[in-house]
Formats: sequence, structure tokens, C-alpha cells
Amino acid sequence: MSHGDIALSLILLGLSAYLLFGGADFGAGLWHLIARRRAEKEVVEHAMGPLWEANHVWLIFVMVMTWTAFPPVFAEVMSAHWVPLSLAALGIVARGSTFVFGKTAPDRGSYAWTFGLSSVVTPYCLGAVAATIATGSTSWLSPSGVYGGILTTALCAYLAAVYLIWDALRLGSRSLSLRFRGYALISGVVVGVLAIPGAVAYGVHSPLLLLSVIAGTVSLALLVRRSYLAVRATGALAVVAVLWGAAEMAGLDLESTVAQDAVLELVFAALGVGAVILVPSMVWLYVLFQRGPGDTAARRP
Amino acid sequence: MSSVALVPDVLGALDAVREASGAASPADFMAARQQMAFTLGFHIILASIGIGLPAITLLAEWRSLRTGDPVYAELARRWMKAAGVLFAVGAVSGTVLSFEMGTLWPGFMDTYGQVFGTAFALEGIAFFIEAIFMGIYLYGWDRLSPRAHFATGIPVVIAGLLSASFVVTVNSWMNQPRGFRLVDGRVTDVDPLAAMVNPATPVQAVHLILASLMVCGFIVASVYAVALLRDHRAGRVDRYHRIGFAIPFSLGAVCAPLQVLAGDWAVRFVHENQPIKFAAMEGVEHTQAGAPFRFAVFEIPNALSFMLTLDPHATLRGLDSFPAGARPPGEVVRTSFEIMIALGVALLALAAWWALSWWLRRRRGADLPWHPWFLRLAACAGVAAAIAMEAGWTTTEVGRQPWIVYGVMRTEEAVNPNPGLRFGLYVVLVVYAVLAIATISVLRRLRRRHRPVPVMDEPRVGSPV
Repeated sequence: MSHGDIALSLILLGLSAYLLFGGADFGAGLWHLIARRRAEKEVVEHAMGPLWEANHVWLIFVMVMTWTAFPPVFAEVMSAHWVPLSLAALGIVARGSTFVFGKTAPDRGSYAWTFGLSSVVTPYCLGAVAATIATGSTSWLSPSGVYGGILTTALCAYLAAVYLIWDALRLGSRSLSLRFRGYALISGVVVGVLAIPGAVAYGVHSPLLLLSVIAGTVSLALLVRRSYLAVRATGALAVVAVLWGAAEMAGLDLESTVAQDAVLELVFAALGVGAVILVPSMVWLYVLFQRGPGDTAARRP
Repeated sequence: MSSVALVPDVLGALDAVREASGAASPADFMAARQQMAFTLGFHIILASIGIGLPAITLLAEWRSLRTGDPVYAELARRWMKAAGVLFAVGAVSGTVLSFEMGTLWPGFMDTYGQVFGTAFALEGIAFFIEAIFMGIYLYGWDRLSPRAHFATGIPVVIAGLLSASFVVTVNSWMNQPRGFRLVDGRVTDVDPLAAMVNPATPVQAVHLILASLMVCGFIVASVYAVALLRDHRAGRVDRYHRIGFAIPFSLGAVCAPLQVLAGDWAVRFVHENQPIKFAAMEGVEHTQAGAPFRFAVFEIPNALSFMLTLDPHATLRGLDSFPAGARPPGEVVRTSFEIMIALGVALLALAAWWALSWWLRRRRGADLPWHPWFLRLAACAGVAAAIAMEAGWTTTEVGRQPWIVYGVMRTEEAVNPNPGLRFGLYVVLVVYAVLAIATISVLRRLRRRHRPVPVMDEPRVGSPV
């Protein structure tokens, strides 16, 4: 593998993580917007993170990697699609701030609906740009762009519903988990109805299409059978295969745009050292949450 | 690469737009500069607080560990919560800047992205470490032993300082571009380390970090100065407010004289390496021997030459020694430089007042300066420090114009040639105005609240949903 291949793989990995984790966050926001029952909203709020929307770190990673490893590609994509991308950026601002504001001031309704709305706008815009690039269209307002926007939003909603079933169970509510199971089934069918004809229309003949269809079908079966843990994996696989298929379809020739080896070697080394620090600290953070506040609570005033 | 079917609409589109519509219209070009200045100016305040507030929180927690005094613990807890909110807003306003690098300045990224990109990769890693330990620190309050909890705050401070330093290397590189060769408009022989440790990096990093600690210290202190004034009117003495004032104000006061030294270093550096920026800052219109030091309406003959070279008759280059097309807008640069100096000196005087009273208290048992006049001035110190920082930022950024990369690439070559950027600016202005109002209202709420509220409840880093 050349340095460019490694960089591209890292970017794809980052995009996949952003779709799976960040995408589920967006989807959760969508369900928060749609849900009418207070209890359902609470499941979403409980599942959302502590401090800030940490999953955007994947997006930042993708952007930094792209402008360092393939600067002309970054420049072309960002400048040509500056309108939807600026909207996505503002959506991230609105979401990230109303998210933390809502926790501090839960009684303010405007924070809740801004949060929900920006949870829909942001993945729509990002998906529209991705589809425009993948299909070689000109604008995010073209049919391909609109299709990509809707499909991405639906994928996020599906992922979130699948993950939220387990979150509802962890909160000890069987009836709520069944509600989210219902949402997952509906959105799963919607995603299938959207994705498969689209793939056929664009003439996708990739084995990834087959993979996505199989994983999606298995997920529906698992949902029916209430295997909530297994469906997290198969659902994620079905979604991420769509992204890989789109990347394959774009088939960008990046060889002429790749940065020099000295640059990429330093970046890879930095990422390696960073991972050595980051991974254990993330594990610690995770363990700390699982432990619960009881143990040493009495020690502090 | 696995598949190689070039998509012509993506690659080459930038050049196509440039050929079709030429460059961006002057209105769009100005809008892009204003949007960058505005969003960066907004972020820089949040980033300053992001660096300083964990440090102040740790100081309070350390005192709490040493003395067992519950006032310190309460202050640490409050500051920690405010730090959490501001960190979240700073994280998103920083994300916007990453977008803008491409949506506003694609020409800059296209040519030079790989030269300084590594610095951003390092910054990203440092930022993520900061975020994780911020999470550990916030959640660990009731889950870790007090000592261990204190220790988890230290990486937050270190990673914050590191990420600020990495980001600043990019700006210093724009002032002193190094680590590449330009052949036919494309960069080659890239040495990313040489780009990062360019000559301007040490002075800019020190100047910026001191500025951010001052901004944070004085802003937090000004909140308590207002509370102390209220106490004063009501005839109360509130130890919580006094300590809440003393810790951040002392941090700002310690940094103020150091910043004068760093500022002097910066001016000398600019004089040697960017003489045109220096001429604009000091208002040296014509090349002259024995240049006077001008400040607002005052003028001291020969002083500028003397301060720089110790020779009162030394010749300094004026703006007129540079071609007209290569000069920055002198008035803006000079005015913002003077604002920074004036506010910096005022803050230094206030810091001296505080230090003197501190010293007198130890010598003669006099009290700290809780006069209403001192508090009134201190209440303004936060805003003053923030304005000084913005003014200094304006000085260095506008002073670099018309270059985005000093001497190598002009700003108008970098701007997005697609039409309509000014509408983006309007939208951004509205969104940020709302964001600023909402942030302040949430912080005021945090201040009012007395019962402890969990800002958080579940892990999220890397976990689905």
C-alpha cells in the first residue's frame, strides 16, 4: 500500500465511524423531534453524551486528514459545495450548543426543537454533498443530491432507533424498547425501499450492495426476533456498506493530489502516538461512567 | 488507489469556476475576510477560557485539598461546570473554523494544506485528549478519590496548552512560511516539522498563551468583582466572592507583566522579520532616521529608533519604502495596535495595584484592595482583556495583508471564487449573535443555581448514540 492508500483508508475509516456514531446521534435527535411522549424523549436524552458532541471528532479527523493528505480534493469539494457544507457547520453549532444548553436549562423548549431540527438538517446536507460527489452530479439540489440527503437522514434515523432499543432496556423500560423496536422496523423498511432502487438506478454492481441488502434483511429478522444486541452489529454493517458503496462509486483518482511522503509519515506517526494515549484514556472514561457515582460520593461536600 | 475513474466535476472544478467568473467579487472577498475574522474572534475568546478556566479550577481544587476549606471546593465545582458548557460551545465554534478553511479559503488549502496540515492533526489529537480528560474530570468528581480527581485535571491543562500551541504554529507559519519549496505553483520538498517550528512560533505561542490566561483570569474575576460591589453596597463581606475574585485575578495579574516582556519580544521580532507590518503598527509613514515614538496624539522624538536599536538616530523603514500594492491598511493596524497597548498598560497598572496591596498586607496586615473603585475597574478588566486580545489579533492578521502567506500567496488568490459568500456572512452573524446570547444566559443560570446539577449522565465518547 502506498502512503496515499493508507491515508485514504484512514479517511474512509473516519467517515464510517462518523456515520455509525455521529449518524446515530443525528438520528437520535430526529426521534427526539418526532417523539410525542415525554418518556421516549427521556430515553434519547439519557443516551446522549456527557459533555459535548464528541463524535464530531471523527468529522474533524476526516477534514484534517483530507486537507493534509489530499489538499486539492479538500479545496475542490469544500469550495464547490460551500453552501450545504456551511449549513451543515451551522447545524453542528446549533446542535452542539443546544445540546449542552438543554441539559443546563431543560425547561426551555426552543433548545429542544432547535436541537431536533439541526439534527435533521446537518445529515441531510452532508449526505447531499456525499451523493453529489459520488454520482458526479453538479449540485446538492440535483435529484442525486436530494436523494443522498434523504437517504443519509433515513440511515441515521434507522441506526439511532436500533441503538435506542438497547438504551431503553438499560433504563429498565420494556414498553419503550418495544416502541423503538417499532421505529427501527419502520425506518429499516424505509431505508431499504430508498436504497435498493437507488443503487439499481445508478447501476451499482458491487458486492457491497449485496452485503448491505443481506445485512439489512438479517437485521429486520433479528428485530422481529428481538435479538437487540446482534442487530446493533448487523444494522451498522448494512448502513456502513452503503457508504463504502458510494465511495467505490465515486472512484476518485487521488494519485495526482496526494501529499508528499514526509508529510504523511509524520501524520501517521502522530496518529500512532496519539492512539497510545487516547485509547486507554477513552477506556478509563468509559469504565468510570459504568461505575456509577455511589462509591466515593460521600467524600466531597 | 483501487479504482481510478476520474470524476471531472470534482477535480478541476475550482479552476473552472475561476476561469468562468474570474476571482470572487470584492464584496464576497471582504465578506469572506470578515466572516473568518468574526468566527475566529468569537472562537479565540472561548479558546482562551478553555485554556485558562481548567487552570483556575485546579488552583482552587489544590487549595481545597490543602486546606479542606469548602469554599474552594465549591468554587472549583462551579468553575468546572462553566468550563464544561464553554468547552462544548468552543468545540463547535472550532469545528466551524475547520469548515471555513475550505469553504472560504480553498486556494490556500489547495496549495499549502499539506505543509501545515500536520500541525492541525497534532492539534486534533491534543484537543481530543483534552476532551476525554475533561470528561473524566467532570464525571470523576464523585467517582474518584480527591487526589486522583485533581490529577485528572492536569492533562486537561497540558493538552489545552499544547493544542493552542499547535494551532498557533499555523498562524506563525503564515507570517514566516518555511519548510517547502515552490516549483511552478506547486509545493515540493515539504518538511512539516520545519514549517511548524518556524522562527515566529516561539514568540507567537508565548504571546498568545499569556494573552489567553489574562483574558480568562480577568473575565472570571470581573464576574466576582461585580458580586463584590453588590456585597459592598449591602455592607456584606462574602468570603466566597473574595476568593472567587482573588484566584483568577491573581492569575491575570501574574501574566500581565510577563505579557509586556512577550509583547516587546514580538515587536522586535516583527521589526526584523516583517518590517512592513512593523511600519504599519508604529505608523512610520516615511523611512527616516531618528524615528519618533507616536502614540495617539503624543509624540516622543527619536524614541522609536532608540527603543529598537538603542541608537536614537537609527534609520527605520517606512511604509513608503514598500510598493503600494504590498502595504497593509495602515490605519487599521496602527489603531488596533494602540488599543492593545493602551489596554495592556491599564491592566498592568491594575495588576500592580493588586500586587502592591498583597505585599502591604503581608508586611503590615493591611487588607487587600476591596475599595469600590478598585472593584469597578476590575469589573471592566475582563472586557478590556478580551478587547486587547482581539485588537492584538487584528494587528497581526491585518498587518500581514495583502498576504495570506507572507510574501508567497495573496489573500485574494486564496478566496473561494464561487459567488454569494456575503450571504453566508449574514447568516453566520445572525447564528453567532443568537449563540452568544444563549451562552451568556445559560452561564447566568449556572451562577444562580445553588443545588448541584449533573451536567452529564452517560458516557458517549466512541459509544453509539
